[in-house]
Amino acid sequence: MKFEGLPSAVYISVWFDYYTVRDLPKEEAAEGSDMEVKGIDGKLEKSDSTSADEISHLSIDIGGSLIKIVYFSTNSKCSTNDEAPTLSKERQEVPYGDLNHHILSGRLYFVKFETSKIEDCIKFLSSKKLQQCGAQCHHSHAVDKIKIKATGGGAFKFADLFKEKLGLTLDKVEEMESVVTGANFLLKAVNHEVYTYIGGQKEYVQIDQNDLYPYLLVNIGSGVSMIKVDGDGRFQRVSGTSVGGGTFLGLGKLLTKCQSFDELLELSHQGNNRVIDMLVGDIYGGLDYSKALERNDSSHDVRFGKIGLASTAIASSFGKAISENKELEDYKPEDIARSLLRMISNNIGQIAYLNALRFGLKRIFLGGFFIRDHAYTMDTISVAVDFWSKGEAKAMFLRHEGFLGALGAFMNYKDESTDSMPPQLVEQQPAKRSSSCIVDRIHNSTRVHENENGATDCRLRVSSSFKIYDEVKRC
Amino acid sequence: MASPTTKDQSHIEIDDINEESQQITEKDIVEKDMAPLPGSSIHRSSSRPQLDVSGAAIQGNFEEKDPAILLPNQTDDISHLALDIGGSLIKLIYFSRHADRQVDDGRKRKVKERLGVTNGSRRSYPILGGRLHFVKFETSKINECLDFIHSKQLHCGGMDPRCWPSDAPPSENAVIKATGGGAYKFADLFKERLGVSIEKEDEMNCLVSGANFLLKAIRHEAFTHMEGHKEFVQIDQNDLFPYLLVNIGSGVSMIKVDGDGQFQRVSGTNVGGGTYWGLGRLLTKCKSFDELLELSQRGDNSTIDMLVGDIYGGMDYSKIGLSASTIASSFGKTISENKDLEDYKPEDISLSLLRMISYNIGQIAYLNALRFGLKRIFFGGFFIRGHAYTMDTISFAVQFWSKGDAQAMFLRHEGFLGALGAFMSYEKHGLDDLMVHHLVERFPMGAPYIGGNVHGPPLGDLNEKISWMEKFVRKGTEITAPVPMAPPATTGLGGFEVPSSKGVLRSDASKLNVGVLHLVPSLEVFPLLADPKTYEPNTIDLSDHGELEYWFTVLSEHLSDLVDKAVASEGGTDDAKRRGDAFARAFSAHLARLMEEPAAYGKLGLANLLELREECLREFHFFDAYRTIKQRENEASLAVLPDLLMELDSLTEDMRLLTLIEGVLAANIFDWGSRACVDLYHKGTIIEIYRMSRKKMQRPWRASERKNNIRKVVDDFDAFKGRMLGSGDRKPQPHKRALLFVDNSGADIVLGMLPLARELLRRGTEVCKVYQYDPSLSPSIYAERFRFQRSTIQNFMQVVLVANSLPALNDVTAMELPDIVAEAAKHCDILRGAAEAGGLLVDAMSNIQDGYKENTPSVPLMVVENGCGSPCIDLRQVSSELAAAAKDADLVILEGMGRSLHTNYNAKFKCDALKLAMVKNQRLAAKLVKGNIYDCVCRYEPAS
Repeated sequence: MKFEGLPSAVYISVWFDYYTVRDLPKEEAAEGSDMEVKGIDGKLEKSDSTSADEISHLSIDIGGSLIKIVYFSTNSKCSTNDEAPTLSKERQEVPYGDLNHHILSGRLYFVKFETSKIEDCIKFLSSKKLQQCGAQCHHSHAVDKIKIKATGGGAFKFADLFKEKLGLTLDKVEEMESVVTGANFLLKAVNHEVYTYIGGQKEYVQIDQNDLYPYLLVNIGSGVSMIKVDGDGRFQRVSGTSVGGGTFLGLGKLLTKCQSFDELLELSHQGNNRVIDMLVGDIYGGLDYSKALERNDSSHDVRFGKIGLASTAIASSFGKAISENKELEDYKPEDIARSLLRMISNNIGQIAYLNALRFGLKRIFLGGFFIRDHAYTMDTISVAVDFWSKGEAKAMFLRHEGFLGALGAFMNYKDESTDSMPPQLVEQQPAKRSSSCIVDRIHNSTRVHENENGATDCRLRVSSSFKIYDEVKRC
Repeated sequence: MASPTTKDQSHIEIDDINEESQQITEKDIVEKDMAPLPGSSIHRSSSRPQLDVSGAAIQGNFEEKDPAILLPNQTDDISHLALDIGGSLIKLIYFSRHADRQVDDGRKRKVKERLGVTNGSRRSYPILGGRLHFVKFETSKINECLDFIHSKQLHCGGMDPRCWPSDAPPSENAVIKATGGGAYKFADLFKERLGVSIEKEDEMNCLVSGANFLLKAIRHEAFTHMEGHKEFVQIDQNDLFPYLLVNIGSGVSMIKVDGDGQFQRVSGTNVGGGTYWGLGRLLTKCKSFDELLELSQRGDNSTIDMLVGDIYGGMDYSKIGLSASTIASSFGKTISENKDLEDYKPEDISLSLLRMISYNIGQIAYLNALRFGLKRIFFGGFFIRGHAYTMDTISFAVQFWSKGDAQAMFLRHEGFLGALGAFMSYEKHGLDDLMVHHLVERFPMGAPYIGGNVHGPPLGDLNEKISWMEKFVRKGTEITAPVPMAPPATTGLGGFEVPSSKGVLRSDASKLNVGVLHLVPSLEVFPLLADPKTYEPNTIDLSDHGELEYWFTVLSEHLSDLVDKAVASEGGTDDAKRRGDAFARAFSAHLARLMEEPAAYGKLGLANLLELREECLREFHFFDAYRTIKQRENEASLAVLPDLLMELDSLTEDMRLLTLIEGVLAANIFDWGSRACVDLYHKGTIIEIYRMSRKKMQRPWRASERKNNIRKVVDDFDAFKGRMLGSGDRKPQPHKRALLFVDNSGADIVLGMLPLARELLRRGTEVCKVYQYDPSLSPSIYAERFRFQRSTIQNFMQVVLVANSLPALNDVTAMELPDIVAEAAKHCDILRGAAEAGGLLVDAMSNIQDGYKENTPSVPLMVVENGCGSPCIDLRQVSSELAAAAKDADLVILEGMGRSLHTNYNAKFKCDALKLAMVKNQRLAAKLVKGNIYDCVCRYEPAS
């Protein structure tokens, strides 16, 4: 690899952690109730709107329901963190000999807004000093020349709005490409990015980078895209379904009066889908099912053995809502939410598996904001994949599930002028706490990561060079 | 009105044919109209040679008039019952044995001998014909179903239909085959209420055998449905497997079918019909599946669904092939808006839901088809139930994801796969060997019966009937509604509902889609069809809406006249009038239904429409509406036959053939199916019309004018003549056996086809005469020759008249023909000898003419029935008798509009074929021959 033309690579030390509104200090929560920030460093930036963060790069993914933002900030506050000493030390060790690599110390932030509350997003952005980005991109401080990378349908829809309100030009990055780039990056660069979720057990998967491709990337946003990825920049959208996160929230809102995704997910925890779903057992005799078994044992074995359906399998989602003389009000919102979640998760898992099968893909990675690390969702999808593949395929989830597109767009800065930010963020250091990986019980929490000092200690190097990977391997 | 020959003196006016005619007097018409001839049935006439009447069993039935019993099927024996008890619906199939009308019959026996057919060559079936009925109930109202079964005594059938005495109590060990989850759930209930045990059949097995049966045995079963357009698919039975069967019930099963009994459930989804209905109920407060579907038709899903355009600000995401209107996220739009459920229109919600589920099923089905390399995907199950939008959405999904490689197909009997399969699981169900041509589907209207006996008042005038129907439907509502299918208790009833015309999308489109299947194992494919696979009987494609409308108008206009005839044929009693009224209503309802959805009963051609009318008449017990007219016309024509024969005999062979063909065409003007001709009949006598017709006929047949004639009359007479008479010294090989498909009674048969048949017989006889007498031969050689000659005659020259099994309009039937021939034979030796040889003159004649028989070996003239009761003929389904007769035939003559123009005009045969007809319809004339009404078609096609 030749670096002559490249001014520098930037090494960044980043802690990943997850924050939600709930974790925010009260004043923060009040300010943007639906904003969710995934920040670094186990601590959220307190002074979002006032601090003089220097955001050098920002990318935005404007989806149908959510706006996802990834930005890099050189805020020095990180050094005040408890863990800073460690980090500092590590950072000092960073240079691997390439003297011309400039190290930029900073953090990568992950923020999201609801698309319907785009005003909040604009307010948020206007509080940030995005000029830095523009400056870096174009050596110009002219406001109207500031470009940020953007992807998602909203990049087209809201282009004028951003121009008008923020003077920002949205530099559109193709959506699928972004998602794939983001996923490729995460899969290659970030350890403990991938995990399976089976029977309530979360298990991290080590990705062999030499045997990564091809894989199926299932990005579950409002809708679902299924993308066959053959390599960097080589991918094809092979399928998708309109039954996705938007359907969950949309139908859920209509059925339960829940106002937010999280509320709905929370509800689903406490629900029992048997009240609403028609189970195989309901059709084959309902409560008298066991009696039916006694009466006709052999036949039962033949039947269920042949079809392979357990009596608890859902025969028809919401099928029980047919036969009972009950109105919507007579059902518990919890049960409805649960039934809905299972229906959608199961369906996605099935279609994903069928597509993986079709193209002979062994790995299925699921991303997108629908999953949200939600145990039951993941469990259902996993079970669906497991069921239909007869155990041969496994659903794997990405920790940065929701930010694939935004991350991909972020990576896209490489294509800009020569002094641009290098494209690859590379996590160089495995997480220290791999041994203490958090394994939640399904029903305890929706957030796997939200407690403890679950911060994953890692350094990201931002570089334009693929050579970095070699270095990473050396690490 | 046509009139007997005694009215010869009256003057006529036939505008279209003859300007010189004069006006008929009012009095004449009145007299004719007032002079019905009750009881003068041709069959009762003792002055005629004795008929073999054993075959007239049906005729005898026709004569019965019991005003109190007007409904069909009351004597049906129930033999089999099978159930599919699903999560939301009970599907019931029962088989009723039909009274066997294959009574042994002297004439038929004789014919069979002649044709070299023995009874042993006919396959023997466990059931000799009968009917399959399809009924649905809501599972939650299973008691109604039990009542239905009990009242019809369906559960008494047991395993062997023939062993079952109709009034015996159910045997202790009676077993009903059933499938579906409810077969377990309700087993006790069945035992308790009906005293029968439920024998559970594997559900998948049933679905598959049901689907296999339907796909093999029913011609218009599978269809595609794209953008509101329904098209039936011809299934190649040799290339049926493997296929993917997607059964959409409450949930969805996807089954890979590799053959009979070979299948595997490969996939499924829990998002199915139950999801649609369940979620729909919660979201819209709809009380029934129907209502929910109905709602969806008025919906706009863009208010609910997040479309690609919504995300992309109205733009397409063309790079990955998503248009702006593609749904990106079902229900995705309800996320962002601050609206409650009440703020959304139920219509929009229903549509959005329907699209979501249909699309999803289509996608998963396609992925599974792809996975196993299956080309055909059939969708069935109650969710689809003929709903246009559902089918369109599934089709679209399959089309979209397969990029057009795969096609979604649907089944007309979609909801009954499981029940059919359970039925097939009886050891001797008799359906195994059935082929497409053995099944005839009928769509009865007037079968409102519950139980084995007729309940309620007889069918009467419209009000009576409708009020009865309403009462029944109200009762039926308890039985069936609100169910997904919401049919009245029998499938035949839906037709009385006034179709609510709402464009192409109908939620209840399947209501009449399923008729009663008549099993007629004696039907066969006409063996002389050049290519039965590509054969399409109908010439006029009624999928052209203009055509459809035209013929519907024609039939509607003809209706009142037909009703008059029908009522008169039954003596004009009050009862007959009531039935006539009911018939008119029923047929109008059929027409309205078909006008709205032409493919409702399967692929619709003119032949189907005409047959439907006849069936509808029979349903209201009008078995021969034109009986009186046919009689009068036969008598009138027979009276002038001797003169005609004399005239013919005076001509040369060349001229005779031309005159005969002309005569056939001219006589074909007597057709009560033609409006134009019916108008003529009001103005003239039969013989006048015939003469005028022939006079006019001569014009296009004059050789000099023919080529310069502006009209493009189809005239292959020269070719036919060449084949018959040869050219110059070359004598052509004579035909071995000629099949003459005859059309109308009266002049058509007597003055047209019979003389032509006689000519063929005469030619055959002359061939025989070559061998007959040669004094130079020694007696031994002569005897050998004679033997050879006998066999030669039997093998070489036979004339078979092919006529309808059942009456249709004024068409002559196989039952009536022997009488007519016998009467004609009185005046003609050729006919007499031939009729005798053909077994048409059974008793008297053969005794009298014993000596004749010894001296002159006669060419036999035979009559066979075609197996039809329609003015048209579908040669894929003809009687086994005709099929046998066709075996050695090398000449087919099709006569009349119904059989040679409306159908079979483009049919190709393995043998020589001559199609003769006068075009008695301006539109048809313009379309087929670019000519005018009363133009003639003489189409001769040598063996292909």
